[in-house]
Amino acid sequence: MKRLWRWLIPLAAVPVLALLAYGFRVSPRDIPSPLVGRPAPAFTLATLEGAPLGLETHRGKVVVVNFWASWCYPACYEEAPVLERNWRGYRERGVVVLGVDIQDKREAAQKFVGDFGLTFPVAQDLKGTVSVDYGVYGVPETFFLDRQGRIRVKHVGAVTDDVFRTTVDRLLAEAAPR
Amino acid sequence: MTRRRKLVIGGLVIAGALAYMIYAGVTQSAVYFVTPSELRGAAVPGKAYRLGGMVVPGSLKWEPRSLDLSFTLSDGTATVPVRHKGTPPDLFGEGRGAVLEGNWTADGYFKASLIMAKHSEEYKAPHDTNQAGYRELFKTLRGEGR
Amino acid sequence: MTADLGYGMTLVALGLALYGGIAAGAGARSGRTALIESAQHAAIGVFVLVTSCFALLTYAFLTFDFSVRYVATNTNLGTPFYYRITAVWGALEGSIILWAWMLTLYTIILIVRHRVGARELYPWALATMLGILAFFLLVMTVAAPPFQRQMPVPADGRGLNPLLEDTGMITHPVALYLGFTGFSVPFAFAMAALITGRIGDTWLVLTRRWTIVAWYFLSLGLLIGGWWSYHVLGWGGYWAWDPVENAAFMPWLTGTAFLHSVMIQERRRMLRLWNISLVILTFGLTLFGTFLTRSGVIASVHAFTQGSIGILFLSFLALVLLTALGLVAWRWEALRSEGELDSIVSRESAFLLNNVFLVAAAFTVFFGTVFPLLSEAVRGVKVSVGAPFFNQVNVPLFLSLVFLMGVGPLIAWRRASLESLKRNFLWPVALGIVAAAAAFALGVRSLLAALTFATTVFVAVTIAVDFTRATRARLRVGESLLPAMGGLLLRHNRRYGGFVVHLGILIIALGVMGSHAWSVQTETTLHRGESAELAGYRFRFDGLTAVEESNHFKVIGAFTVSNGRVLGVLRPAKKFYPQEQAPIAYVDYRLGLREDLYLVLGDFARDGSQATIKLQVNRLVSWIWIGGLVLTLGALLAILPERHRTA
Repeated sequence: MKRLWRWLIPLAAVPVLALLAYGFRVSPRDIPSPLVGRPAPAFTLATLEGAPLGLETHRGKVVVVNFWASWCYPACYEEAPVLERNWRGYRERGVVVLGVDIQDKREAAQKFVGDFGLTFPVAQDLKGTVSVDYGVYGVPETFFLDRQGRIRVKHVGAVTDDVFRTTVDRLLAEAAPR
Repeated sequence: MTRRRKLVIGGLVIAGALAYMIYAGVTQSAVYFVTPSELRGAAVPGKAYRLGGMVVPGSLKWEPRSLDLSFTLSDGTATVPVRHKGTPPDLFGEGRGAVLEGNWTADGYFKASLIMAKHSEEYKAPHDTNQAGYRELFKTLRGEGR
Repeated sequence: MTADLGYGMTLVALGLALYGGIAAGAGARSGRTALIESAQHAAIGVFVLVTSCFALLTYAFLTFDFSVRYVATNTNLGTPFYYRITAVWGALEGSIILWAWMLTLYTIILIVRHRVGARELYPWALATMLGILAFFLLVMTVAAPPFQRQMPVPADGRGLNPLLEDTGMITHPVALYLGFTGFSVPFAFAMAALITGRIGDTWLVLTRRWTIVAWYFLSLGLLIGGWWSYHVLGWGGYWAWDPVENAAFMPWLTGTAFLHSVMIQERRRMLRLWNISLVILTFGLTLFGTFLTRSGVIASVHAFTQGSIGILFLSFLALVLLTALGLVAWRWEALRSEGELDSIVSRESAFLLNNVFLVAAAFTVFFGTVFPLLSEAVRGVKVSVGAPFFNQVNVPLFLSLVFLMGVGPLIAWRRASLESLKRNFLWPVALGIVAAAAAFALGVRSLLAALTFATTVFVAVTIAVDFTRATRARLRVGESLLPAMGGLLLRHNRRYGGFVVHLGILIIALGVMGSHAWSVQTETTLHRGESAELAGYRFRFDGLTAVEESNHFKVIGAFTVSNGRVLGVLRPAKKFYPQEQAPIAYVDYRLGLREDLYLVLGDFARDGSQATIKLQVNRLVSWIWIGGLVLTLGALLAILPERHRTA
């Protein structure tokens, strides 16, 4: 009997390890967004070229709203190619990517768009109201909206191919609104 | 009583005392994490909270002479009025995230005893890029200096 | 090119480390020395490669090679020369390569020192070290590569975190890591002891100096961290019980326990199981520390970024703990001690209590640190415990430990008779009580302060008693005073080094108590020419000036300090870095033995007409740094090679 009891010693480490592993599921940096599941706040901005950009005009499509800035290095620099690549891949399938540039200089924003060859609509949130409406804490933050215009996923930090495709595919698979 | 047993009892006494001290310490200094929505839902006056949210632009009022700081904290859905005595930390500002420690008062506002601002490498809070404010400050002060 | 070369070297080093670890283990099992020698060569190869990687990275920093991503993220064209060098270990990837480099350095020293002397244990210790090295090299290749390419190459980098542009911030990580990695060696020997079954004193004697060295560096790192926190961060304190601080403190606590319990095993052959467990626990805690600071699992103002690195560290921690504890379970029978505790009133008992309290403190710190996780896992509520928790539970433990510092060295082994107790402790106890009474008479009303005084005097007198007795014995044999005292220190340097360390702790204890009990602070806004008063000092605001530096500009406030007569001008400042989100405060202070004057510039008017400042008069804080210095001197004395073994 005594021989077997000793093997409990290594097992003593398991609860502690399990607790620490649990920590991965809950990130303390996640600022909870009560907006998930709610209708996305509407906005109307002007793109860098001067064309109007309104959220409502894209109702019925899966919308990816990406908040970024040219001074947000390196994360925004990492996700820019990802967003462009996936925008080109998904635009025919009823998906639109909208970029909202916050607290940035116009020239810096234009240079960023030019350097990365971004072709999706990009606007500047000059008054800052859109970022407040969306509860944006920092950049980058990306919101995935479903076809009914509800916020379904809020992603904090650089978006990866994997995150984009998994989320968008899931939202595309849902039934379109009447 | 054998020496063995005395040791074991001694050990248990110490363990028990430690457990009690830890329990007392935890119950006295536990701080609950909440968002403005959660706080609005069920705020208990006097309970220690840690409130996280964003400072609503235009809500910040700072009175240097009396050291009164007041602002509104939001999480996109609900807002909480906050008051604090003393200069806020450097990373604190409108349109930025903040984490506060304090308690909810019966008068309907959150009294913050501590304002914390976090700073990470990848994830940046919005800031004033054009630095115009700083440049202007620099010019004015330069004119004062020797 | 640089990035690829560096990455290639890392990969080769990883392969060599893996090979070496396996070769050393195989050589140990089969007894084939050729394999062990091959493993040694592999270790040397790893050292050369990692050193080259480090040099290459430093070169990239010095030449502004922004094609390396790590360089672009941590420096820019305005970063001064010397900070470009120290920026190498300023962020996550660099810290891993620094850790790995120290591991290889220690491995080489291990080879040189123990290749001949420790026939049985050496190969397994080498295998363990190479195994640990392989893990960190794996992290460098997979999760935190310092040599990632940055395309397109930016014209300018982002810049170094301004908080890192400071001497404290340069030395603090280096000292801390030397301490952390230093504990790998005792751990490696403990593993060797368990695997070979030679769990007697051999492995302890071999690692004794390693333990003191690691402990010394860890203490130094913690002290510098406190100093930096106090003098640079500007919140007026030196310790906040932040998870990252706790992560470094826990192995220090268990390491201190280990330092003491080895003496029991050497003397009485007791506590073998306890010692092995302590070493495993200490090493595990050093890994836990790095896990905590890099995984983002617990929120902290210090934390680095998240990613796959957290999972890697947790997996390795699990591997280490399960393997080590499994070995302990395997050798359980042999580890049961030979000696038995004769009496509760004895040196063994005092040391045992010392260990119990230290481990209890480590557990408390651990519990408080992971409490947010625990509460969320169990009740779904996010709760954290703040500084009051740690202070409340730890203060009685620490005070008891200080008391034991006085009891342990003087009390007799095995069983202390009433006679010997009276002879040893009458004066110390009496003077301790007198000290408490004197404090009370002088106006001290806090029970804690009185107890601290009583205990520190008690311990100081025990040290004096021991020293005078030993000196007197030498004088009786015909030596003169100074050579007698010096001879004592050098001949029995372990014992007296320990006493000096204890003295250092006493001074620190007084400093901590003073700063908590008697410090005052205030915050106020002043117009130019106006003054504020605190604790008998007057601070007059004279005005603001601005200065431009290479990569930032600085706003400085001038405050004339007087307490009857003018003492000087304090200039707290705010530094504005273009790439940073907010200005960095720059504290100014006037240090003193009795108290520090401490000034932080908060808000100010754009035209310089008014400024908000935070004023502190902190009492006895300098004693902490002085005590720290004494402590390190004592540790150095103890590390010296022994001239004469005391009976």
